Amino acid sequence: MGISGKFKAATVIGAVLMSLTSSAAFAQDAAKPVQGGTLIYLEQQPHTNLYPPAGGFYPNGGVLNQITDKLTYQNPKTLEIEPWIAESWAVNDNATEYTFKLRKGVTFSDGTPLDASAVAKNFDTFGLGNKELKQPVSEVINNYDRSEVIDPLTVKFYFKKPSPGFLQGTSVIGSGLVSLATLALPFEQLGDATKIVGSGPFVVESETLGKELSLKVREDYVWGPAKIEHQGRAYLDGIKYVITGEDGVRIGALLSGQADFIRQVQAYDEAQVEGQGYKIYAAPTRGVNNSVVFRPDNPLVADVRVRQALLHGTNAQEIISTLFSANYPQAKSIVASTAQGYVDLSAKLTFDPAQATKLLDEAGWVAGTNGIREKDGQPLVLTAYESPPQPQNKATLQLVSQQWAKLGVTLNVLAGDAGSRTVDDLDPAKTPVSPAMVGRADPDVIKSQYYPKNRDVLRQKGGPSDKVKSFVDDKLNGLLEALSSEPNREKRLQIAGEVQSYVLDQAYAIPIFEEPQAYAGAPYLQGVDFEAVGRPRFYSTWLAEH
Amino acid sequence: MARYIVSRVGQALLVLWAAFTISFVLLQAMPGDAVLIKFQNPEYGLSAEQIADIRAAYDADGSVLPQYVHTIGNFVTGDFGYSLQAGVAVSAQLAANLPSTIRLAGLAFAAAAVLAVIIAVLSNLSGFGRLRSFIQSLPSLFVSIPTFWLGIMLIQIFSFRFRLVPVINPGEWEGLILPVLTIAVPISAPMAQILLRNIDEVLTRPFVSVARAKGASHAFVLWQHVAKNAFLPVLTVAGVLFGELLAGAVITETVFGLNGIGSLTEQAVNFQDVAVLQAIVVISAAAFVAINLAVDLLYPVLDPRLKTKLGAVS
Repeated sequence: MGISGKFKAATVIGAVLMSLTSSAAFAQDAAKPVQGGTLIYLEQQPHTNLYPPAGGFYPNGGVLNQITDKLTYQNPKTLEIEPWIAESWAVNDNATEYTFKLRKGVTFSDGTPLDASAVAKNFDTFGLGNKELKQPVSEVINNYDRSEVIDPLTVKFYFKKPSPGFLQGTSVIGSGLVSLATLALPFEQLGDATKIVGSGPFVVESETLGKELSLKVREDYVWGPAKIEHQGRAYLDGIKYVITGEDGVRIGALLSGQADFIRQVQAYDEAQVEGQGYKIYAAPTRGVNNSVVFRPDNPLVADVRVRQALLHGTNAQEIISTLFSANYPQAKSIVASTAQGYVDLSAKLTFDPAQATKLLDEAGWVAGTNGIREKDGQPLVLTAYESPPQPQNKATLQLVSQQWAKLGVTLNVLAGDAGSRTVDDLDPAKTPVSPAMVGRADPDVIKSQYYPKNRDVLRQKGGPSDKVKSFVDDKLNGLLEALSSEPNREKRLQIAGEVQSYVLDQAYAIPIFEEPQAYAGAPYLQGVDFEAVGRPRFYSTWLAEH
Repeated sequence: MARYIVSRVGQALLVLWAAFTISFVLLQAMPGDAVLIKFQNPEYGLSAEQIADIRAAYDADGSVLPQYVHTIGNFVTGDFGYSLQAGVAVSAQLAANLPSTIRLAGLAFAAAAVLAVIIAVLSNLSGFGRLRSFIQSLPSLFVSIPTFWLGIMLIQIFSFRFRLVPVINPGEWEGLILPVLTIAVPISAPMAQILLRNIDEVLTRPFVSVARAKGASHAFVLWQHVAKNAFLPVLTVAGVLFGELLAGAVITETVFGLNGIGSLTEQAVNFQDVAVLQAIVVISAAAFVAINLAVDLLYPVLDPRLKTKLGAVS
């Protein structure tokens, strides 16, 4: 019996003990988890590249969340960072050095150890990218410099500048740890799920590209997040993902007992699902709200008064009551009320058509022919592309368009193919208005959204778009830089509040609602939970009937 | 005959080259490209410099001619490259999707042919005038049913309401019943239409009267004399219908959540995944050419009069 053999015996004993204690704990509970069964999960779209930093795409996150573990665990209720693969950690005062002590005995499903050198290699890749293998940098890791393996279970990371968001960054979906074999593959090959080797509670069993993916439970899994109730192997024996693009087919299949859990349920289907005793899960995404943003580089929306007028001319309440449900709370700031650093700014977001009209008049836009406002002979006609991943985005924009039309402003809503959309969206002259949202449970999310070197939703000069002529907001950028590098938590949240106020004072964005990820599940499905940004975790899920 | 086949294969290669080149040019002319769509996507949140590095790594801004020569060289050697969006080799995607589409299309085509024959036979055997005109109007009805709607209706009725066939995780053949029917109905319409018209036309020919005068029954005349003559134009249409079969597969595979070339095309078009699209274009063109070649070669088998003509050529 070698070391690994002894280790296996120890984990088996450990698992038995744990299952004994946990079943004892559950004995008093009426609903005792049942082990076994395969969960049938209907996804709207096939996963794409499963390189962990690409986990933000929901179909990818739904897979990576089951097959990878993270260094830390963000409690979805408290948003506190708790131990997972890292047992403990230390951060220096200005947040430029992070040291993690790792849990012993964790292995990837290919048998290789998840030790300090594996963790170091993962974050070197996510923090710096790998040009040779075409692996890009992760969005959530800022100012990364290098790693250092101190001993087999201790790893230290150095940053060029303070990086207070890094600890939370180790808990997110884009920071799933994968084996060295996976990291050695070129980016082009990481769309094959069978090549993604993680240490998670499930392992990829087989895949039919674009159609089906089967995961099976990892029997020897004993390293779930230490503070959660469920320990040991997952209750399910497996998960089968079936790609079902049609909304009606997913819902019909769920309600006729052909599936257990489905993603992407539109608000108008909720009543049908709940009416039959099935459950809607509306997981909050805790990030930047579903909004309409402006590109002030375009002269039509360069004047703050025009943007403010459109903000006050937008009736978010009407949009929600017409198109959505109670699961889509009205926005009270640019970030969700469940986001970190949220400040209630609903006073700045009033629907006030009289004020809107006054502001447009002051800005010199007067009613011209056909009722459209004009200035120097130029009509106030704006354009936006719909964003297909956002719920009912086209309908939302069309309703906004109707509301703005009452002010004498035209908003054209375009669909367009992915290519035209991507190219035109980079050019403020073509798309002065755009829908936007992003989820992440850390104040860094605001920077991700607005900073020119990240998503750059306002299209500033110096960002990824070379079509921008001159627009730069140094004050905003300064605040965003401070937000991502302020080591003091209190001060950092205060800056987050300042940014929210500033963006709304400038009326750069019109937040509409807090976007949930909507799922539906069968009544016999229990223990589904979600990571902080709304991707399902099936580790503690069980099927009362199977 | 041999010379005929050689010249047809030559034409086929020319068609394939043209399909490749035209699709290459058109895909280049479209706004944006796969690298842009993939990495400019907010899901990655990359900076301008990082995107520029990636573009350079994929040679996304390189000049067109070397890219063309490079790609066509790879195609000739059977290397279709990688799907940027899905992150797998195109050949792996084709291997996963081609067989199921061939099976679906083949079965749907056979079912459509059976359906067309049933319509033609029923229409000619039924005695009642009203029933006959109803049956004869079926093709017009079938061709105007949208595939999408038919698929959804079949699922709603047979799978969700009566729970006869599951859509999710069906058995290997069980899962094909509804999709095959969905494609077969609209495809059967033109076949049935042509068959009906030809039967009517052939029935007016003098040799039919002669056969009847000799005492042959209606059914015998229909099967022995009329059918052979009426089938030939149907075969011609069948070759053309193959294109519609592919279009039907795109919609049907999406509605039923089947994997196949149809759903692969839909994904690839959405993301301008050039490598995948090129492979699909070339493979579809090859299938089209092959089917039409087969149809041409089948003519003389069905109609001896054409054999002498071909014989004169070779």
